[in-house]
Amino acid sequence: MTANIPGLEPLVDDVSSVPSAVEERGVGRRHTSRRRLYLRRFLRNRGAVVGLAILALLILFALAGSLFTSYTYTDVDFANLSSAPSPEHVFGTNGAGNDTYAQAVHGLQRSLVIALAVSLLTTMIAAFVGAAAAYLGGLPEKIILGVVHFLLVVPSFLILALVSQRAHGDWRVLILVLTVFGWMFGARVVWSLTTSLREREYVQAARYMGVGPVRIVLRHLIPNIGSLLIVSFTLGVVATVQSETALSFIGFGVQLPDVSLGTMLSDGANTVSSAPWLFYFPAGLVTLLTVSMALIGDGLRDALDPTSRSGGRA
Amino acid sequence: MLRYVARKIVSWTLMIVLATNLTYFLANWFLDPRANYLQLRPPRTPEQIDRALSQYDLSPDTPLLVRWWHWISNIVLHWNWGYSPVGEAVNGQIAFRIGVSAQLVLLSTILSTVIGIALAVYTAARQYRFADRFNQSLSIITLNIPVPVAGLAVVLLAIAFNRSLGSTLLFVAGAQSPTVTGFWPLVLDRLRHLALPTIALTVINYAGYHLLQRSLLLDNINADYVRMARAKGLTRTEAIRRHGLRTSLIPVATSIAFTVPALFTGAVLTETIFAWEGMGRYFVTTISKNDVHGAVAVAAFGALMTAFGAILADLAVVALDPRVRVTGS
Repeated sequence: MTANIPGLEPLVDDVSSVPSAVEERGVGRRHTSRRRLYLRRFLRNRGAVVGLAILALLILFALAGSLFTSYTYTDVDFANLSSAPSPEHVFGTNGAGNDTYAQAVHGLQRSLVIALAVSLLTTMIAAFVGAAAAYLGGLPEKIILGVVHFLLVVPSFLILALVSQRAHGDWRVLILVLTVFGWMFGARVVWSLTTSLREREYVQAARYMGVGPVRIVLRHLIPNIGSLLIVSFTLGVVATVQSETALSFIGFGVQLPDVSLGTMLSDGANTVSSAPWLFYFPAGLVTLLTVSMALIGDGLRDALDPTSRSGGRA
Repeated sequence: MLRYVARKIVSWTLMIVLATNLTYFLANWFLDPRANYLQLRPPRTPEQIDRALSQYDLSPDTPLLVRWWHWISNIVLHWNWGYSPVGEAVNGQIAFRIGVSAQLVLLSTILSTVIGIALAVYTAARQYRFADRFNQSLSIITLNIPVPVAGLAVVLLAIAFNRSLGSTLLFVAGAQSPTVTGFWPLVLDRLRHLALPTIALTVINYAGYHLLQRSLLLDNINADYVRMARAKGLTRTEAIRRHGLRTSLIPVATSIAFTVPALFTGAVLTETIFAWEGMGRYFVTTISKNDVHGAVAVAAFGALMTAFGAILADLAVVALDPRVRVTGS
């Protein structure tokens, strides 16, 4: 792919004279494609690359980690209660005799699935609702913004706790409630950005061509705030891991017999001086997860933002 | 100005009333106070439980709207926020917990703001140099450490510190020791309890201010008026501090105004880890003990604090930014 280095050949004459098939090739050679440009700018950010590597390792660990142990997260080893890390139990065991390594693998899976699902759903809802409010304007806009502001005042953490307490820690219910009370702030941001987009010519053109409002929102408005949505997705993952951990830690999130990194931390909190390994491993994993996602989000923001200079030039 | 604030207060009050009532119905739907009596020995009959609960307006057999009417008229007429299923007054609980939370929140807010802004000024003046890169990486990490991890890490460090010292200088749990008397010993005792949670909260919170203030300051640092200040003969540090910082402080002030109230109820995890009986801890207790009235009172307090923060943020902008004029219309 060395031919893609920009400015290698003077292709200006080429473009104007040759037939279209060749022209496409010529243009491809002359410009760095957008994806390639983003990739290059992303890779230039050392922190983002480190974050991506850590995240890849974490996902690998969550998927394949169970292959390296004969225990599952529910297995109980009565010969080892609260025993320190040893060749038999790499991360030690907790007070009930569960293998901490197996629990960590399962907990990381749980936390990852919850975080990714919630962040994806909230970003989608925020994008659609925010853009729709901005595009429709008038009364619908007022109503949607009113609902958003109202939901921001409602003590969402309390309602989260109430609902997931009732659901006895079912992780699917947790995904649902975290989504229901997580999209408002994003919708507000999307709305304020889209209010300027709705006046653009291409939106008006689409409207005069008879394109329906849903299609305009989905095909014309949302793609134009795509970079914001990608960044808010990664940062949403961080926020979700934080709130899932918080809820599980105080006992309102994922509950026994299911295990997430938050429940493991709360296990570790009770024995922090007598069995610190119960704290170290989940704490390390959850911190690596949030920090790596934050670094990736940072790198993406710099790569996707045309005005950012922190990624160097181009 | 006054009319503007008054209008804001009215609209926020409406929001708070709505949110509080919504929480009341939700809490009644999700929490079952009967559960508190079911484990008692000797076992109570359903009638006994009912009678015990109905004196606090909590019995599920009374229609919800009737209970709601009792509850709301008690608040409006007597400022009485009701009782827990076992008969403790919510008012008394809230009153002393606000004080406990305030101790925890105020000091750490001041510390994290000062540290955050000072770091921002220091690093923005050295953009992309080692000090800047190092502090920024550190801030990204501390900003994203989950609260329980940060809190417990502080606890572990403090235990190691106490052990190496051979005595308990810093307490890892509670707000004060029950046996201490006298003014100065009491102050000292409070400080020894306060140190660790304050450190934990500060570590979590300073980075947000640092990163925000740094990027805002960098937008302003090359502005004409900062160069003008340099041309007048101010040193670079002075020009940044007096002219660059002042304009870029506005959004940071807004975000501080919003976080202080949120911290009052949001320090749930810190209070749990360090066993402080503040508002956050009360919130967890009320939900796990099916205390409908207590939970609703916490929610109302949280909504009030949010509104307070929003109005405070508006006022901060007016006070700091000479370009902003508010009129009543």
